[in-house]
Amino acid sequence: MKNIELTSTTAQRIYKDYLKRVEKCLTILSKVDRQEMLMEINSHIFEGMQRFSDNNETDNLLTVLEKLGTPKEFLKPVIADKKIAQAVRTFNPKDVLQALLLNFKNGIIYSVFALLYLLLFVFVFFIAAKIIFPAKTGLFYLDDKFQAFGFIQNIDGMNDVLRFWFIPFVTLSAIIFYLLITLLLRFTKKK
Amino acid sequence: MHKWTAQVKKGVLSFIVLNILQENEYYGYELIEEVKKNTDIEIAEGTLYPLLNRLKKEELVSSKWVEQESGIPRKYYSLSEKGKINLQEMKEYWVNMSSSIQKLL
Repeated sequence: MKNIELTSTTAQRIYKDYLKRVEKCLTILSKVDRQEMLMEINSHIFEGMQRFSDNNETDNLLTVLEKLGTPKEFLKPVIADKKIAQAVRTFNPKDVLQALLLNFKNGIIYSVFALLYLLLFVFVFFIAAKIIFPAKTGLFYLDDKFQAFGFIQNIDGMNDVLRFWFIPFVTLSAIIFYLLITLLLRFTKKK
Repeated sequence: MHKWTAQVKKGVLSFIVLNILQENEYYGYELIEEVKKNTDIEIAEGTLYPLLNRLKKEELVSSKWVEQESGIPRKYYSLSEKGKINLQEMKEYWVNMSSSIQKLL
């Protein structure tokens, strides 16, 4: 990208600082998208500067940037959108978390998804319980009838059918649950 | 009141942009000037870029980079075929809605 030529060093510093802030906001985008947006903002600043007939470069630049707004504020929708697309493509928990946080205010649906993802912690809790209280955590049956799944106080006469398979089973369930809700998120987004 | 006007502005901005683009193709800065010239909407100019991005994703507008002598290219936006159809529907909806609101006032 070609930078705008500015004569005053103060103007140069302001300009570079602004572009840096834009770039920082766009780090989660792909390189192509980031470059595209950066070029467009750069073009906006350039065109804005061309509208002035006087030579107060620094003042003019500041006016253009002020009207353009704070990058963090006006770029929010782009970032939130792209992040969801990225999250459902990569299945990366970090992307999913970021996407939900960014979209939280954009509708009730994302709050529902946040809750679903929070439910994953139940699985983590089960695994921790199995490690700390191995005897009281499991899939319990009494005379071939299902009694309880998880962590319970009173296990009189019950039989834990999973035993050491409990942790692998819970882990696998968690993974399946995670994949399911992420697929659901992808589906919601596509509509 | 302030919150309401802000919401209305946000809601109609894409409609305004599509209307402006039906006449001509414009690059970002020019488009903002047109928005300002035709309406009294005061917006942080930057908000227009995410909006254009969305319209592009929805295939209502198309864009192309045009090289300039200055070395800093302009990104021109124009209304796509889908955008034209959509805009027509939006206009009809707008007319119907404003006439029903008018009756209420």
